[in-house]
Amino acid sequence: MPEPPRRKAPVPVKIIVAGGFGVGKTTTVGAISEISPLTTEAEMTMESVGVDDPGQASAKTTTTIAMDFGCVTIDQTLKLYLFGTPGQSRFSFMWDDLVRGALGALVVVDTSRIDDCYPAVDYFERAGLPFVVGVNTFNGQLGYNLDEVRWALTVRDEVPVVQFDARFRGSVRDALLVVLDQALNKALRMRQ
Amino acid sequence: MRYPAGPDDPEHPATPGVRPFLRGKEAPPAPQEVAPALRPFVITSGRVAAVDPDIGLETQVSALPSAFYARLSPEQRAIVQLCRDPLSLAEISAQLRMHFGVTRILVCDLRAAGHLDVHVLQSDFPDPDTIMRVIRGLRSIL
Ligand SMILES: Nc1nc2c(ncn2[C@@H]2O[C@H](COP(=O)(O)OP(=O)(O)O)[C@@H](O)[C@H]2O)c(=O)[nH]1
Ligand SMILES: [Mg+2]
Repeated sequence: MPEPPRRKAPVPVKIIVAGGFGVGKTTTVGAISEISPLTTEAEMTMESVGVDDPGQASAKTTTTIAMDFGCVTIDQTLKLYLFGTPGQSRFSFMWDDLVRGALGALVVVDTSRIDDCYPAVDYFERAGLPFVVGVNTFNGQLGYNLDEVRWALTVRDEVPVVQFDARFRGSVRDALLVVLDQALNKALRMRQ
Repeated sequence: MRYPAGPDDPEHPATPGVRPFLRGKEAPPAPQEVAPALRPFVITSGRVAAVDPDIGLETQVSALPSAFYARLSPEQRAIVQLCRDPLSLAEISAQLRMHFGVTRILVCDLRAAGHLDVHVLQSDFPDPDTIMRVIRGLRSIL
Protein backbone atom coordinates (compact mmCIF):
# COMPACT_ATOMS: atom_id res chain seq x y z
CA MET A 1 0.00 0.00 0.00
CA PRO A 2 1.48 3.37 -0.96
CA GLU A 3 2.05 5.97 1.69
CA PRO A 4 0.17 9.28 1.51
CA PRO A 5 1.85 11.83 -0.77
CA ARG A 6 4.78 13.51 0.89
CA ARG A 7 4.28 16.81 -0.90
CA LYS A 8 1.32 18.88 -1.97
CA ALA A 9 0.77 19.03 -5.73
CA PRO A 10 2.03 22.29 -7.28
CA VAL A 11 -0.16 24.34 -9.60
CA PRO A 12 1.16 23.61 -13.10
CA VAL A 13 1.31 26.26 -15.81
CA LYS A 14 2.47 25.58 -19.34
CA ILE A 15 3.94 27.37 -22.29
CA ILE A 16 4.07 25.80 -25.73
CA VAL A 17 7.20 26.00 -27.88
CA ALA A 18 6.13 25.45 -31.48
CA GLY A 19 7.65 25.61 -34.94
CA GLY A 20 8.91 23.50 -37.83
CA PHE A 21 11.39 20.64 -37.64
CA GLY A 22 14.93 21.60 -36.71
CA VAL A 23 14.21 25.22 -35.82
CA GLY A 24 15.47 24.80 -32.25
CA LYS A 25 12.46 23.80 -30.15
CA THR A 26 14.22 21.05 -28.20
CA THR A 27 17.25 23.30 -27.80
CA THR A 28 14.98 26.02 -26.40
CA VAL A 29 13.31 23.69 -23.91
CA GLY A 30 16.63 22.13 -22.87
CA ALA A 31 18.31 25.51 -22.33
CA ILE A 32 15.92 26.50 -19.56
CA SER A 33 14.59 23.23 -18.15
CA GLU A 34 15.85 21.92 -14.81
CA ILE A 35 15.54 18.36 -16.14
CA SER A 36 16.96 17.25 -19.46
CA PRO A 37 14.05 17.22 -21.91
CA LEU A 38 11.79 14.17 -21.71
CA THR A 39 9.69 12.86 -24.57
CA THR A 40 6.07 11.88 -24.66
CA GLU A 41 4.05 10.68 -27.60
CA ALA A 42 0.58 11.97 -28.24
CA GLU A 43 -2.07 12.15 -30.92
CA MET A 44 -2.45 15.25 -32.99
CA THR A 45 -5.07 15.90 -35.66
CA MET A 46 -3.46 17.12 -38.86
CA GLU A 47 -5.27 18.62 -41.78
CA SER A 48 -3.40 18.82 -45.04
CA VAL A 49 -4.02 22.03 -46.90
CA GLY A 50 -4.00 22.15 -50.68
CA VAL A 51 -1.02 24.28 -51.60
CA ASP A 52 -0.90 23.39 -55.26
CA ASP A 53 -4.65 22.99 -55.63
CA PRO A 54 -6.42 25.10 -53.02
CA GLY A 55 -9.84 23.86 -54.08
CA GLN A 56 -8.96 20.33 -53.15
CA ALA A 57 -10.79 18.87 -50.17
CA SER A 58 -8.50 18.65 -47.18
CA ALA A 59 -7.92 15.37 -45.44
CA LYS A 60 -7.91 15.04 -41.67
CA THR A 61 -5.59 12.49 -40.19
CA THR A 62 -4.59 11.64 -36.68
CA THR A 63 -0.88 11.28 -36.23
CA THR A 64 1.24 10.29 -33.28
CA ILE A 65 3.89 12.87 -32.68
CA ALA A 66 6.82 12.95 -30.28
CA MET A 67 6.95 15.95 -28.05
CA ASP A 68 9.82 17.15 -25.89
CA PHE A 69 9.15 18.83 -22.62
CA GLY A 70 10.90 20.25 -19.61
CA CYS A 71 10.05 22.19 -16.48
CA VAL A 72 11.11 24.97 -14.14
CA THR A 73 10.08 24.89 -10.48
CA ILE A 74 9.04 28.43 -9.58
CA ASP A 75 8.46 27.51 -5.93
CA GLN A 76 6.92 24.64 -3.96
CA THR A 77 3.44 25.54 -5.14
CA LEU A 78 4.03 26.57 -8.76
CA LYS A 79 5.70 24.74 -11.62
CA LEU A 80 6.21 25.87 -15.22
CA TYR A 81 6.12 23.26 -17.98
CA LEU A 82 7.40 23.80 -21.50
CA PHE A 83 6.14 21.61 -24.31
CA GLY A 84 7.93 21.55 -27.64
CA THR A 85 5.52 20.59 -30.37
CA PRO A 86 6.36 20.03 -34.01
CA GLY A 87 4.40 21.63 -36.77
CA GLN A 88 4.89 20.88 -40.40
CA SER A 89 4.47 23.01 -43.43
CA ARG A 90 1.43 21.94 -45.50
CA PHE A 91 -0.38 20.64 -42.44
CA SER A 92 -2.53 22.67 -40.16
CA PHE A 93 -2.82 21.08 -36.78
CA MET A 94 -5.51 20.91 -34.19
CA TRP A 95 -4.54 20.04 -30.73
CA ASP A 96 -6.95 21.18 -28.12
CA ASP A 97 -5.37 19.07 -25.37
CA LEU A 98 -2.24 21.09 -25.78
CA VAL A 99 -3.68 24.62 -25.73
CA ARG A 100 -6.29 24.02 -23.04
CA GLY A 101 -5.03 25.85 -19.97
CA ALA A 102 -1.83 27.03 -21.69
CA LEU A 103 -0.50 30.49 -20.83
CA GLY A 104 0.78 31.10 -24.31
CA ALA A 105 3.20 29.98 -26.96
CA LEU A 106 6.61 30.82 -28.33
CA VAL A 107 6.70 30.17 -32.07
CA VAL A 108 10.30 29.49 -33.00
CA VAL A 109 11.33 30.61 -36.48
CA ASP A 110 14.39 29.86 -38.56
CA THR A 111 14.62 32.66 -41.12
CA SER A 112 15.87 30.31 -43.82
CA ARG A 113 12.54 28.46 -43.65
CA ILE A 114 10.01 30.99 -42.49
CA ASP A 115 6.98 29.17 -43.86
CA ASP A 116 7.54 26.20 -41.51
CA CYS A 117 5.91 28.17 -38.73
CA TYR A 118 2.70 29.11 -40.57
CA PRO A 119 0.62 26.24 -39.17
CA ALA A 120 1.56 27.16 -35.60
CA VAL A 121 0.85 30.86 -36.14
CA ASP A 122 -2.50 30.05 -37.73
CA TYR A 123 -3.51 27.68 -34.99
CA PHE A 124 -2.65 29.97 -32.08
CA GLU A 125 -4.35 32.90 -33.81
CA ARG A 126 -7.55 30.91 -34.24
CA ALA A 127 -7.37 29.46 -30.73
CA GLY A 128 -6.97 32.97 -29.26
CA LEU A 129 -3.83 31.91 -27.41
CA PRO A 130 -1.26 34.64 -26.67
CA PHE A 131 1.86 33.98 -28.69
CA VAL A 132 5.20 35.52 -29.54
CA VAL A 133 7.29 34.91 -32.64
CA GLY A 134 10.86 34.12 -31.60
CA VAL A 135 13.42 34.28 -34.39
CA ASN A 136 16.23 31.88 -33.51
CA THR A 137 19.54 33.47 -34.44
CA PHE A 138 21.55 30.49 -35.63
CA ASN A 139 25.19 31.56 -35.09
CA GLY A 140 24.07 35.11 -34.47
CA GLN A 141 22.90 35.30 -38.07
CA LEU A 142 19.54 36.63 -39.01
CA GLY A 143 18.64 36.07 -42.66
CA TYR A 144 15.95 38.73 -42.53
CA ASN A 145 15.35 41.55 -40.11
CA LEU A 146 12.46 41.41 -37.65
CA ASP A 147 10.27 43.74 -39.71
CA GLU A 148 10.67 41.50 -42.74
CA VAL A 149 9.76 38.44 -40.67
CA ARG A 150 6.70 40.25 -39.31
CA TRP A 151 5.70 41.22 -42.82
CA ALA A 152 6.17 37.69 -44.15
CA LEU A 153 4.02 36.27 -41.35
CA THR A 154 1.35 38.99 -41.50
CA VAL A 155 0.81 38.77 -37.75
CA ARG A 156 -1.20 41.43 -35.94
CA ASP A 157 0.71 44.44 -34.59
CA GLU A 158 0.10 43.27 -31.01
CA VAL A 159 2.03 40.05 -31.62
CA PRO A 160 5.65 40.60 -30.57
CA VAL A 161 8.37 39.43 -32.95
CA VAL A 162 11.61 39.02 -31.02
CA GLN A 163 15.07 37.68 -31.63
CA PHE A 164 16.65 35.10 -29.33
CA ASP A 165 19.26 32.37 -29.16
CA ALA A 166 17.82 28.95 -28.34
CA ARG A 167 21.11 27.76 -26.86
CA PHE A 168 21.28 30.29 -24.06
CA ARG A 169 19.25 30.17 -20.91
CA GLY A 170 19.06 33.92 -20.38
CA SER A 171 17.99 34.49 -23.96
CA VAL A 172 15.27 31.82 -23.74
CA ARG A 173 14.13 33.26 -20.43
CA ASP A 174 13.79 36.74 -21.95
CA ALA A 175 11.74 35.34 -24.85
CA LEU A 176 9.49 33.49 -22.38
CA LEU A 177 9.06 36.68 -20.35
CA VAL A 178 7.61 38.33 -23.47
CA VAL A 179 5.15 35.41 -23.77
CA LEU A 180 4.25 35.82 -20.09
CA ASP A 181 3.71 39.53 -20.60
CA GLN A 182 1.21 38.75 -23.37
CA ALA A 183 -0.46 36.17 -21.13
CA LEU A 184 -0.72 38.69 -18.31
CA ASN A 185 -2.44 41.16 -20.64
CA LYS A 186 -4.97 38.50 -21.60
CA ALA A 187 -5.58 37.51 -17.97
CA LEU A 188 -6.16 41.15 -17.00
CA ARG A 189 -8.57 41.64 -19.92
CA MET A 190 -10.46 38.52 -18.88
CA ARG A 191 -10.81 39.76 -15.31
CA GLN A 192 -12.49 43.02 -16.39
CA MET B 1 8.05 29.26 -51.65
CA ARG B 2 10.01 32.38 -52.50
CA TYR B 3 10.60 34.74 -49.62
CA PRO B 4 9.28 38.23 -50.09
CA ALA B 5 11.85 40.93 -50.63
CA GLY B 6 9.84 43.34 -48.52
CA PRO B 7 6.48 45.06 -48.21
CA ASP B 8 7.01 46.93 -51.47
CA ASP B 9 7.89 43.88 -53.56
CA PRO B 10 5.54 44.32 -56.54
CA GLU B 11 5.68 40.67 -57.55
CA HIS B 12 4.65 39.40 -54.16
CA PRO B 13 2.35 41.93 -52.54
CA ALA B 14 1.26 41.43 -48.97
CA THR B 15 -2.07 39.74 -48.42
CA PRO B 16 -2.91 40.86 -44.91
CA GLY B 17 -4.07 38.11 -42.64
CA VAL B 18 -3.56 35.38 -45.18
CA ARG B 19 -0.45 33.26 -45.11
CA PRO B 20 0.46 31.87 -48.55
CA PHE B 21 -0.62 28.30 -47.95
CA LEU B 22 -4.08 29.39 -46.91
CA ARG B 23 -4.63 31.69 -49.87
CA GLY B 24 -7.77 30.85 -51.78
CA LYS B 25 -9.19 28.75 -49.00
CA GLU B 26 -12.47 29.32 -47.27
CA ALA B 27 -12.23 30.87 -43.83
CA PRO B 28 -10.39 28.37 -41.65
CA PRO B 29 -12.56 26.44 -39.21
CA ALA B 30 -12.68 27.77 -35.68
CA PRO B 31 -10.90 25.63 -33.08
CA GLN B 32 -13.39 23.08 -31.90
CA GLU B 33 -14.20 21.84 -28.50
CA VAL B 34 -13.35 18.18 -28.17
CA ALA B 35 -15.44 16.57 -30.90
CA PRO B 36 -18.30 14.55 -29.37
CA ALA B 37 -17.35 11.47 -31.37
CA LEU B 38 -13.86 11.64 -29.92
CA ARG B 39 -14.91 11.97 -26.30
CA PRO B 40 -13.78 8.51 -25.50
CA PHE B 41 -15.52 6.03 -23.31
CA VAL B 42 -13.03 3.38 -22.72
CA ILE B 43 -13.58 -0.05 -21.42
CA THR B 44 -10.98 -0.83 -18.84
CA SER B 45 -10.89 -3.92 -16.67
CA GLY B 46 -14.51 -4.68 -17.36
CA ARG B 47 -15.66 -1.17 -16.40
CA VAL B 48 -16.39 1.90 -18.45
CA ALA B 49 -14.42 4.98 -17.45
CA ALA B 50 -14.96 8.34 -19.10
CA VAL B 51 -11.77 10.14 -20.05
CA ASP B 52 -11.83 13.63 -18.58
CA PRO B 53 -10.69 16.13 -21.26
CA ASP B 54 -9.67 18.56 -18.48
CA ILE B 55 -6.80 16.23 -17.65
CA GLY B 56 -3.88 17.60 -19.61
CA LEU B 57 -0.20 16.89 -20.07
CA GLU B 58 0.70 19.14 -17.12
CA THR B 59 -2.05 17.88 -14.75
CA GLN B 60 -0.63 16.72 -11.42
CA VAL B 61 -1.37 13.26 -10.10
CA SER B 62 -0.68 11.83 -6.66
CA ALA B 63 -1.22 8.40 -5.14
CA LEU B 64 -3.86 7.75 -2.48
CA PRO B 65 -3.58 4.98 0.10
CA SER B 66 -5.66 2.13 -1.22
CA ALA B 67 -6.77 -1.31 -0.11
CA PHE B 68 -6.85 -2.89 -3.55
CA TYR B 69 -3.34 -1.94 -4.55
CA ALA B 70 -2.41 -5.62 -5.01
CA ARG B 71 -5.06 -6.11 -7.69
CA LEU B 72 -3.66 -3.53 -10.06
CA SER B 73 -2.18 -4.39 -13.45
CA PRO B 74 1.60 -3.86 -13.75
CA GLU B 75 1.06 -0.61 -15.67
CA GLN B 76 -1.38 0.71 -13.09
CA ARG B 77 0.89 -0.25 -10.23
CA ALA B 78 3.82 1.48 -11.93
CA ILE B 79 1.77 4.68 -12.17
CA VAL B 80 0.73 4.58 -8.51
CA GLN B 81 4.31 3.94 -7.42
CA LEU B 82 5.63 6.83 -9.52
CA CYS B 83 3.11 9.23 -7.99
CA ARG B 84 4.13 8.94 -4.32
CA ASP B 85 5.11 12.55 -4.89
CA PRO B 86 2.90 14.53 -7.25
CA LEU B 87 3.85 14.12 -10.90
CA SER B 88 2.47 15.39 -14.20
CA LEU B 89 0.87 13.09 -16.75
CA ALA B 90 3.58 14.05 -19.22
CA GLU B 91 6.27 12.86 -16.81
CA ILE B 92 4.41 9.62 -16.10
CA SER B 93 4.02 9.03 -19.82
CA ALA B 94 7.71 9.72 -20.51
CA GLN B 95 9.07 7.67 -17.62
CA LEU B 96 6.89 4.64 -18.33
CA ARG B 97 7.30 5.07 -22.11
CA MET B 98 3.57 5.02 -22.53
CA HIS B 99 1.59 7.01 -25.07
CA PHE B 100 -0.06 10.07 -23.47
CA GLY B 101 -3.53 8.86 -24.51
CA VAL B 102 -2.97 5.48 -22.86
CA THR B 103 -1.56 7.14 -19.74
CA ARG B 104 -4.62 9.36 -19.47
CA ILE B 105 -6.98 6.39 -19.77
CA LEU B 106 -5.16 4.48 -17.05
CA VAL B 107 -5.02 7.55 -14.80
CA CYS B 108 -8.76 8.16 -15.22
CA ASP B 109 -9.42 4.56 -14.37
CA LEU B 110 -7.20 4.68 -11.29
CA ARG B 111 -8.91 7.85 -10.16
CA ALA B 112 -12.34 6.24 -10.55
CA ALA B 113 -11.12 3.31 -8.45
CA GLY B 114 -9.91 5.67 -5.71
CA HIS B 115 -6.19 5.02 -6.12
CA LEU B 116 -5.17 8.42 -7.44
CA ASP B 117 -5.86 12.04 -6.69
CA VAL B 118 -5.95 13.98 -9.96
CA HIS B 119 -5.58 17.71 -9.41
CA VAL B 120 -7.79 19.15 -12.13
CA LEU B 121 -7.66 22.95 -12.25
CA GLN B 122 -10.85 24.98 -12.01
CA SER B 123 -10.18 27.74 -14.49
CA ASP B 124 -9.26 27.48 -18.13
CA PHE B 125 -6.73 30.31 -18.12
CA PRO B 126 -4.36 31.18 -15.24
CA ASP B 127 -5.19 34.28 -13.22
CA PRO B 128 -3.01 37.43 -13.27
CA ASP B 129 -1.50 36.71 -9.83
CA THR B 130 -0.28 33.29 -10.92
CA ILE B 131 1.25 34.75 -14.07
CA MET B 132 2.95 37.50 -12.03
CA ARG B 133 4.46 34.83 -9.79
CA VAL B 134 5.84 32.99 -12.82
CA ILE B 135 7.32 36.25 -14.14
CA ARG B 136 8.96 37.09 -10.82
CA GLY B 137 10.12 33.50 -10.42
CA LEU B 138 11.77 33.32 -13.83
CA ARG B 139 13.48 36.66 -13.25
CA SER B 140 14.90 35.63 -9.89
CA ILE B 141 15.71 31.98 -10.47
CA LEU B 142 17.61 32.31 -13.73
N1 LIG C 1 24.29 27.13 -34.21
C1 LIG C 1 23.09 26.98 -33.70
N2 LIG C 1 22.53 25.76 -33.75
C2 LIG C 1 21.32 25.59 -33.24
C3 LIG C 1 20.58 26.65 -32.65
N3 LIG C 1 19.37 26.18 -32.26
C4 LIG C 1 19.36 24.87 -32.57
N4 LIG C 1 20.52 24.51 -33.17
C5 LIG C 1 20.86 23.17 -33.69
O1 LIG C 1 19.91 22.86 -34.70
C6 LIG C 1 19.56 21.49 -34.62
C7 LIG C 1 18.06 21.33 -34.44
O2 LIG C 1 17.67 21.85 -33.19
P1 LIG C 1 16.50 21.20 -32.32
O3 LIG C 1 16.40 21.98 -31.07
O4 LIG C 1 16.67 19.73 -32.19
O5 LIG C 1 15.26 21.51 -33.26
P2 LIG C 1 13.74 21.00 -33.14
O6 LIG C 1 13.53 19.99 -34.22
O7 LIG C 1 12.94 22.24 -33.41
O8 LIG C 1 13.53 20.46 -31.78
C8 LIG C 1 20.35 20.89 -33.48
O9 LIG C 1 21.49 20.25 -33.99
C9 LIG C 1 20.72 22.10 -32.64
O10 LIG C 1 21.93 21.87 -31.93
C10 LIG C 1 21.19 27.96 -32.61
O11 LIG C 1 20.64 28.94 -32.14
N5 LIG C 1 22.44 28.04 -33.15
MG1 LIG D 1 12.89 18.53 -31.28
